[in-house]
Amino acid sequence: MSQQRTPGYGIDAAALGWVADVLGAALVAAGLALGVGAVAGLQGPPLALAFALLLAGGVARAGAQYLATNAGMRAAMVRKAAARARHWRPLLEAPPAGRLTGVALASAIDTVEMLEGHAARFAPLRRAAVIAPLLAAALVLFASPVSAAILIFTLPPFAAGLALAGTAAKAAADRQLGAIGHLNGLFVDRLRAMPEIRHFGAEGRVLSQMADAGDLVTTRTLATLKVAFLSGGIIEFFAAIAVALVAIYAGFNLLGILPFPVPEQLGLVAAFFALAMAPEFYLPMRRLAAAYHDKQLGEAAEAVLAEAAVSSPLPAPAAYSGVAATALVVRHPDGPAIGPATFRLGETGLLAITGPTGSGKSTLLAALAGRLPPEAGALDWAGGGGPAVAWAGQRPLILAGSLASNIALAAAGATEADIEAAARAACLDHLLAERGLGAAIDWAGSGLSGGERRRIGVARALLSGRALLLLDEPTADLDEETAARLRAALLQAARTRALVVATHDRALAAMADSRVELS
Amino acid sequence: MSGAHDKPDVEALLAASAAGQRATMRGAIAAAVVAALMAVGLLGLSGWFLAGAGLAGLAGGAAVLAFNYLVPSAFIRLSAVLRTGGRYFERLLSHQAALRTLAGVRVELMARLAAVDPRSARGLSGAESTSRLTGDVDALEDQFVRWPAAPAAAAAVLLALLLTAAASLWALLAIEAILLALPRAVSALARRWVDAPAADAQRLLGALKAEMGDMLAAGPEIAVYGLVTQASDRLQQTARQMDEARRAAAAATAAITGLLTISGPLMAGFVLVLGQGPAPLQAGAALAVLAAAEVMGGPLRARLEESRTAQGLRQLEALAAEGWEAPQGQLPDGLLALEIGALRLSAGETLALTGRSGAGKTRILESFAGLRRDAPQRLFVGGCDAGTTAFSALSGQFALAPQDPVLIAGTVEDNLRLARAGLSEAALWQALEVACLADEVRALPDGLQCWLGDGGARLSGGQRKRLALARALLAGRPWLLLDEPSEGLDSATEALLAERLAGWLQASGAGALIASHRPAMVAICARTLCLQAE
Repeated sequence: MSQQRTPGYGIDAAALGWVADVLGAALVAAGLALGVGAVAGLQGPPLALAFALLLAGGVARAGAQYLATNAGMRAAMVRKAAARARHWRPLLEAPPAGRLTGVALASAIDTVEMLEGHAARFAPLRRAAVIAPLLAAALVLFASPVSAAILIFTLPPFAAGLALAGTAAKAAADRQLGAIGHLNGLFVDRLRAMPEIRHFGAEGRVLSQMADAGDLVTTRTLATLKVAFLSGGIIEFFAAIAVALVAIYAGFNLLGILPFPVPEQLGLVAAFFALAMAPEFYLPMRRLAAAYHDKQLGEAAEAVLAEAAVSSPLPAPAAYSGVAATALVVRHPDGPAIGPATFRLGETGLLAITGPTGSGKSTLLAALAGRLPPEAGALDWAGGGGPAVAWAGQRPLILAGSLASNIALAAAGATEADIEAAARAACLDHLLAERGLGAAIDWAGSGLSGGERRRIGVARALLSGRALLLLDEPTADLDEETAARLRAALLQAARTRALVVATHDRALAAMADSRVELS
Repeated sequence: MSGAHDKPDVEALLAASAAGQRATMRGAIAAAVVAALMAVGLLGLSGWFLAGAGLAGLAGGAAVLAFNYLVPSAFIRLSAVLRTGGRYFERLLSHQAALRTLAGVRVELMARLAAVDPRSARGLSGAESTSRLTGDVDALEDQFVRWPAAPAAAAAVLLALLLTAAASLWALLAIEAILLALPRAVSALARRWVDAPAADAQRLLGALKAEMGDMLAAGPEIAVYGLVTQASDRLQQTARQMDEARRAAAAATAAITGLLTISGPLMAGFVLVLGQGPAPLQAGAALAVLAAAEVMGGPLRARLEESRTAQGLRQLEALAAEGWEAPQGQLPDGLLALEIGALRLSAGETLALTGRSGAGKTRILESFAGLRRDAPQRLFVGGCDAGTTAFSALSGQFALAPQDPVLIAGTVEDNLRLARAGLSEAALWQALEVACLADEVRALPDGLQCWLGDGGARLSGGQRKRLALARALLAGRPWLLLDEPSEGLDSATEALLAERLAGWLQASGAGALIASHRPAMVAICARTLCLQAE
């Protein structure tokens, strides 16, 4: 069992709550024992005291359980927030390419949620499970040392059985978790493509694939549960056997017909106290077993989170004062090698990257943005390191808000006049005239055409105030007239800044101060 | 299209799917009842045995000899074993029934989602639907797993009441009053304290996933503009609200469970205080009542989880109800003519759509495909308004290669085979040749079997577009809808594509609407419609 990293005071408070529950149980047991003694007509305190003890014990247990639950949830909140902070940053900095986005989404949110049960329930219950049974046995010791010894002696075979079942369960659970993650990824992907799938009338085939995948996961889950419930069964068995052994021992002791000598002669009250406390000995372990699922999920989540890339902090951007590439070769993970490319760009000017489709224009842009390391050759920044750049990609970021807020995403202090100027420069006049700067835009950016989205990205880059702008096909999806105006605006911008465009647009490439031709 | 009028009912769906698991569930219930009876029996009998033994021991001699200890002690051991086995099979069988039931429900809901008209469900993101299909269906799983708990608790309570009745009628009355009040109190308090925060937590989880989906899709820009902190803060804020709601629901649940914890000892106390029967009977009844209170915790806790399952059920109902006002119009048989405003196209004609960006080229194509209905012109297919024609009828006429094609995570072949069932490999290659993609696919590591990853992440924008074009060609529909098919191509490839596409149109006799700015593409169409922005 691995040591948990972020215990926090909350887990201790929760564990303490679960241990305190045993004391409440002892009050109940005492009340019960005294009550039975009184009913049997033995000398002792009155029935009213027994009743008061029972009630006090019940209230104490309820309070202890409430405190333990609440403290556990608080500890889980701390733990989840820490995991999110650690896991989400690298994910946002470098969203996974080539993996199922549904899987990434699941690991970003659901995986962190899977930690909750572990931190809120399993971890405190595990701590309590070490102390609480011993406390219960110690309390029984006062009434009947032999009963306490019986409880303790059931522990070794119990532990052996549990260890055996637990190991098998873990292996099965790990396999199953991967299958569930993959299934969710498939669901996200097929739902996203559902209009296309239906357009081609392929929904029947896709659905039967999903049904098969679901059946497979169900079968695997059931195989896991068969083993996982076995450890639960072992605990149940020993819990029941402990009660039965104490009951039979105490009964034979009271009758005085034990076939072996024991150093104690039990009274009815002491015997009853031992019997009522006997279930409490295994209760912490039963609670722990009920949280077994939380343990599995939490540990699997830990493994996923540990494996997920933890980003090394990006180097601080240098000032931009020119860049030169010499026989530069870059490569996307499991993509083809791009290049070699040789070019030079000063503090201002327009560099066009051209080349046939698939030749790697976008990949070269990504390398300039510092997202891919050079595989061969050199990329030399005059300022000493990679600068802060502006980026207008093929699928620009659209967030819920207004047209203005979307254009000004990278320029927090921009005035409305600045924003409007950038929008006009990026040829968004039509949208401005129709809907205005304050036009509400929903999170999916619906209602915007492909060309409009692209130009919002260009406007954002122009407004960002960065010294180097990287634009991926800025004039695609545009009619000739608009494209001509955008080309002029880009040329204008290139007088004061450095622009790199990846483009098929021959007119734009012809205007450039220099060109890189990829093949 | 069937079922347009009977409102979808997730509960009926659940019931239908559960019917197949009835035998398994019966087994689970039987096992649960055995386990519950044995739990109560074990403690009750132990209490009776102990008190009886104590009294006999005090009396000594003949009383000890007369006391039958063999049968009770044997039964105590037996009940310990039966309780264990009952619990094991209850859990295993109820999980089996739940998982098998819900696997069926999940696929059925997916099928309903697949039947949603795209024109009515544009707001429903994939992440949200998926969270519902996975998270909410899982919440229902708990409900099924807890099903046997209620009959088990009823059996346990009945046994405890029987023992109590033997001990004292007054105690019986007091305990019955508590047992009757308890479920009502739990229900009322759960409504007041648990339901709202639990619903909030579920809603916030959906919001969190939608937000995160946004952010991941917008990845590169977030990094480049240094918006990571801003983006992560926004997500953390939603997450914190969700956590707080979850904590509030859990704490309230614990507080209400406390009632149950108190009621066990309270009822045992009543048995002892109000009891009149012989001491062993009272002792046994007191312990049995204590054990029964524990078994009763099962169904009462299920009530506390109910807000989670009810919320899941409501969201699934909403999911299943999406698109129930979908247009149902059908189309006449045969080859159909198209009308775009005043322009009329006979079957097999080719039309280039040109005009400035934003003039509505894409809207026309996607409206014919049944994906939207906001084209600036009125569109008719065979004389029927496209906006009121069923999606499936439109799909039978058109094959769309969109501007920003969606590919499924899978191989090149998986994507092509979406077009139609039973395509030969030769047909796939032929379509790839026309789309000028065959050489590039041959160069991929596994050719047709090359895994493309999410949304075709392995392909460039131009390659995705041509793969979508090949897919549209394979569908064999009377009309092709091509949105900027040559965008992102160099002019040599574009010229080749235009030539092959023209040849293919000639050979197949299919009509085509091609939205393009490029002269090469406009040239292969017989007619041109230049759209003016409104």
